[in-house]
Amino acid sequence: MHSPELLKGTLQTILLKVLKDHGKMYGYEISLRVKELSENKLLLTEGALYPSLHRLEADGLLKTETMMMGKRVRKYYSLTTTGRSLAKDRVEELVDFIKTMSNVLQVKLA
Amino acid sequence: MAELTKEHIEYIIKDLNYRGIVAEGIEQEIIDHICSATEAEMETGKKFIEAYHEVLKSFGHTSGLREIQKQTLKVENQKAAIMLKNYLTIAFRNLRKQGFYSFINIGGLAVGIAACLMIFLFVVDELSYDTYNKKADRIYRVNTEIKFGGNHFKMANSPAPTGSTLMQDYPEIEASMRLGSFGSYLVKPEGEIDNIKEMNVGLTDSTFFKVFSVEVLEGNPTNSLNEPSHIAISKRMADKYFPNKSALNQILILDNKYNGKVSAVFKDIPMASHFHYDILLPLLGNWPGAREAQSTSFLSNNFVTYLLLKEGTDAKALEKKFPSFIKKYAGPQLQTALGAEFTIEKYYAAGNKFEITLMPLLAIHLYSSLNSELEPNSSITYIYLLGTVAFFILAIACINFMNLTTARSSNRAKEVGVRKVMGSLRSHLVRQFLTESILITMFSLALAVGIASLFMPMFNYLSLKQLSLPLGDPLFYLALLITSLIIGILAGVYPSFFLSAFKPVNVLKGRVALGMKSGLIRSGLVVFQFVISIFLIVGAISVNRQLSYIQNKKLGFEKDQVLVVKDAYALRPNIQSFKNEALKINTLVSCTISGFLPIEGADVSRNDRAFWKEGDQSTSDNLVSLQNWRVDHDYVKTMGMKIKMGRSFSPEFPSDSSAVVLNEAAVLQFGLGSDPIGKRISTFNGNGIEESLDPNQTRSWTVIGVAEDFHFSSMKESISPLGLFLYRSDGFLSFRINAKDSQETIQSLEKLWKRLAPGQPFQYSFLDEDFDRMYASEQRLGKIFAVFAGLAIIIACLGLLALTAFTAEQRTKEIGIRKVLGASVSSIVMLLSKEFGKLILIAFVIATPIAWLGVDWWLKSYTYKAEIGVMVYILAGAFAFVIAWITMGYQSIRAASSDPVKSLRSE
Repeated sequence: MHSPELLKGTLQTILLKVLKDHGKMYGYEISLRVKELSENKLLLTEGALYPSLHRLEADGLLKTETMMMGKRVRKYYSLTTTGRSLAKDRVEELVDFIKTMSNVLQVKLA
Repeated sequence: MAELTKEHIEYIIKDLNYRGIVAEGIEQEIIDHICSATEAEMETGKKFIEAYHEVLKSFGHTSGLREIQKQTLKVENQKAAIMLKNYLTIAFRNLRKQGFYSFINIGGLAVGIAACLMIFLFVVDELSYDTYNKKADRIYRVNTEIKFGGNHFKMANSPAPTGSTLMQDYPEIEASMRLGSFGSYLVKPEGEIDNIKEMNVGLTDSTFFKVFSVEVLEGNPTNSLNEPSHIAISKRMADKYFPNKSALNQILILDNKYNGKVSAVFKDIPMASHFHYDILLPLLGNWPGAREAQSTSFLSNNFVTYLLLKEGTDAKALEKKFPSFIKKYAGPQLQTALGAEFTIEKYYAAGNKFEITLMPLLAIHLYSSLNSELEPNSSITYIYLLGTVAFFILAIACINFMNLTTARSSNRAKEVGVRKVMGSLRSHLVRQFLTESILITMFSLALAVGIASLFMPMFNYLSLKQLSLPLGDPLFYLALLITSLIIGILAGVYPSFFLSAFKPVNVLKGRVALGMKSGLIRSGLVVFQFVISIFLIVGAISVNRQLSYIQNKKLGFEKDQVLVVKDAYALRPNIQSFKNEALKINTLVSCTISGFLPIEGADVSRNDRAFWKEGDQSTSDNLVSLQNWRVDHDYVKTMGMKIKMGRSFSPEFPSDSSAVVLNEAAVLQFGLGSDPIGKRISTFNGNGIEESLDPNQTRSWTVIGVAEDFHFSSMKESISPLGLFLYRSDGFLSFRINAKDSQETIQSLEKLWKRLAPGQPFQYSFLDEDFDRMYASEQRLGKIFAVFAGLAIIIACLGLLALTAFTAEQRTKEIGIRKVLGASVSSIVMLLSKEFGKLILIAFVIATPIAWLGVDWWLKSYTYKAEIGVMVYILAGAFAFVIAWITMGYQSIRAASSDPVKSLRSE
């Protein structure tokens, strides 16, 4: 398990990327997907997930739609056009960052 | 995959609500998440309840859930637009809910802002005087100060050769020019018969257009005013005399004898200028005044001289060179006049002065009130005074807002408590309250613009200006917006911090019972408002008192019932026959022909020269600078002056042509003793009193009478020595009339005038009106002051009205119980108004000394002062008190006479 501190700066990028790859997703689905992709190494806590999602929505990067499922209401998130273009940039930025980090830390990435 | 049943889901929803997850937007999302997670857990074979608790654990139980909710809400709150909308909605609701208080807030603030807006425009206009000149920072006026022979003159005029001589000696001067006014002219275009009187006629040098940025529309600026017949006229004049054609090279006839060819048409000189000439004549040829312009004498001061300095010149340094300049040029001339033993050093040593100084062009309008100004100027004092009043009014209006908001805080304390419990941060509350106050100021501002444009004509009438709101200027709206933000924040910052500081526990328990009793600050602010109000009332009463004192003071002559016919010279050579014919009208008692009137005003002549007691040596110590007025036999009688000793001029004594009637001040100054009759005074020259000084020729006059001192200039100055001489002067015909209805007399006079001076305009006025005009600026100040003082107290009372209404509302139940227990209406009224009555009393005590100092300061500029008694202060205090009492009384009586059943029924 990675430290949540490391996750902090990259959380938004992860959310954007996941949504870019999968289109419409709801909160629980996202957390599951991240868990799965990271082979259980990244645990996306709800306390970090929902505020981040709401912030991205407030910034106009995500749009939402709700679906009634009996008593339950499910809220789906997807990227807006600006969100889509930003997702690409953010991912590139992060990759670049990882490269820089590997140089700084003098380690070779697999 | 296990599906949760309906019951399970309901259980989860209820449980989560119980745990405090209620916020819209986040609630359902979390429910869905938990349901999904629970289902996943149940996949592993757990029972519903176990699975659910497992999931809750991963959320961090109740506190974790709450934290998520709080974090998410925080993000939501930062969505500026949404939050602002929320603030606005709440603010609107609050305003609507408290209609009465909102009205007082908005109304009071609007009136205050409108007043400020008008004063602001006034001040901006005053400050913009002469700024139309592109070279304004390099233009200076030469002021002269002369102290000599008991007289002290500070003049805007300077000797005729000053400019040209200065230019010769000092290369840092780029150009010089002179301006002079020698009265009005009767004007007609060539070929016309009827004259029109033009007041704004000036004489100037050809460099006028080089120094001042007055645009020449037609003609060549460098070629105008450089020949005796070349005149320049304004666009206004061109349109008036030569409509629908070019005025260039047309001929205007002035005073029936001078021909002027229009060599330039210039754009009308802006309102914000310290002179407004419509016709400019060259200082060449034989125009009246042009001859003086050629003079090389430094001993008479007839022209206003302006210098244009080269760029980068230090005016102060230049000024330092002027004493040697005076010594070099004026010194020898003084010596010729005053005798060989005169030296300029001795002259200065005797305490005399002869100085020229530079005054920046832009300072003239506000800082200059010298003798012989081209036009009466304004004063920086008015700017400060009005600025202060504007600030005070705004302060009072803002205080109303603060007081009302904090006073009503108990009503909103619960709201604050609930908001805080719901997770509002203090900054949210501050923002909420600030939004409300900014909203109120914005409404007020919009209303204020309306009020201001409605009352602008009235203000213009009062202030003699032509101001208008710059409604077409986007900058104006931007300024308004910024102003409303600033005022809103200023007025809202105290209440918002006050309110947001409430502790929710105390508030919701009802421990904060904020009635009228609390709030030292609030009381302080009320006191402050009334201090200002009382101060302004005292100021207004004092100013108006001084004015009526001046107007009703015994002047030493009878200003009432004197009709003055102007431009008597237009009658030439029929003046005497006009006088004789006119006196046949039986309502006219007497008539005098003289250009000298005991008032200051346009066209009124003044003339002074140095005299000494006959027999004395003419040294600089015993010279008396004497006003010498040329009058006829009937002058003293017509003006109603009193002869204290001796007699006035009389046709029976032909020797009166070398006689003089002095005023008391002159007798004292000459040292003629208690029996001045028969003593003689002398002056230079042998040829009347109008020629230049000649040291070898003196002439003497015998004192035949002493007139009681009479005021002939502003009451700001003391009465100076004056002598009446029997000489011809035909500026005015003054009649003493004896009729209730003067209209008929005027008509007969006009008929006579038309017959004897065909084609000349008949102009008349009453002496008392001309006299009042001398104090026009003070009167304006008085009126403006009174209006704004009134406004201040109205706004202050509006606040008081609302505060009392609020107290009464707060104490409805108390009043009900008191009434049930037998309290009378009057005792309840007393109870309610006592609190504020005390505050006003305190305000009175504080305001009195401040007002006394202020009034004393203002009256310092007057030599003759009205007695401002204690009564004025008491009156002002009583006035404030009564107004406040009426305001409070209305509310108190309403509260006191309400039926106690209504207020107590619900208990």
